[in-house]
Amino acid sequence: MSFDDALRLTEILLGLVFLQQCAEHLKGTVSEQVIYIPRALLSGLLVFGFFTSWICLGLWFIALAQLHRFQGPYNGGSDRMSHLVLSILTLTHFLPEQQWKELAFGYLALQLTLSYFISGWVKVVNPEWRAGQALQDVFRYSAYPVSEQVRGWADHPRLLLVMSWSVILFELAFPLSLLSQPTLIVGLVVAATFHFTNACLFGLNRFFWIWLTAYPSILWLQDRIF
Amino acid sequence: MGFSLARLVQDSFLLLPAVVPSWRFFDEIAPSPRVEYLLLGHEQEEWLEFRPRPEKISIFKMLRRMVWNPTWNESLFLVSCAERLMAEPTDHSANEIFDRISRDLFVANKGMAPAPFLKFRLVFLYRVNGIIERHVTYQSEARALEREGPL
Repeated sequence: MSFDDALRLTEILLGLVFLQQCAEHLKGTVSEQVIYIPRALLSGLLVFGFFTSWICLGLWFIALAQLHRFQGPYNGGSDRMSHLVLSILTLTHFLPEQQWKELAFGYLALQLTLSYFISGWVKVVNPEWRAGQALQDVFRYSAYPVSEQVRGWADHPRLLLVMSWSVILFELAFPLSLLSQPTLIVGLVVAATFHFTNACLFGLNRFFWIWLTAYPSILWLQDRIF
Repeated sequence: MGFSLARLVQDSFLLLPAVVPSWRFFDEIAPSPRVEYLLLGHEQEEWLEFRPRPEKISIFKMLRRMVWNPTWNESLFLVSCAERLMAEPTDHSANEIFDRISRDLFVANKGMAPAPFLKFRLVFLYRVNGIIERHVTYQSEARALEREGPL
């Protein structure tokens, strides 16, 4: 995938993801609408590719307003990834040299890789994760399971042990998928399936969509390096 | 909401965890908050869980939530507010929780206040020696249930 194609695809995906996020806030309070109506308009323009540099900069300032409004991210990790992708796109547009642009865009691919690897590392060094107890706790009493029926998965410790190790091994092995394009595509399909499962069981729909927006950067980087 | 350079710099610092993220998802399973509320002056004064989970969710609803999940995402924001209230109490976090409980109550009562006053508390759940314990860690002052909040 060429640099320009990957950049443009990231813009389109980010615009669509922002539109989805904005739609969820439009029935909110006036102080939310003041932020999310302009954000939706700029996101639409980003999808269609109008003045993308300035649109990204505008969205970046709106991101600051969001952080001010909610005194931090509204939805933890998914907002952080949203701000990261947007910041990288904005920087890429305003950097003067192609080499620097590629360095900035490569940073997004690096952070995507780290988002899996570090998550796997912190789990594998934790004895409760290795024993399946941590995932059991997630289902038993965390705020995430979307229904009491899903919470009931806590009563299946063997299944959760297998699930824990599947997640740990996938997250740790993700960087190896960069070795070739076919393995990377397999890695990204598994990753997307993982996010989709989290979205269904824990209601983390925003994670699914925003992580997808970073995939073009890693497809480009793999092509560039290997 | 006026522009100021100081505010811009201050808000830019909130962006730092996004630009240099830690990605330590679920490194440990921390005590988990539940928001409960009490209607003062209501005929049944009892603590009720705010937005309790449904018994079941259909596959169709799960799929629909992939693109439309505002209430759940708002509830996750309230979890963040509850955690922030414990780590570093601010009026902002308390107001966010108050206002969202109030809004739901007004909607459920067709625009009427179900009671004159409202309180909320935070109950944190965690596992001790294999048993899930519940501890009330925060209780707000009572506030008048007003339709127009500071949101």
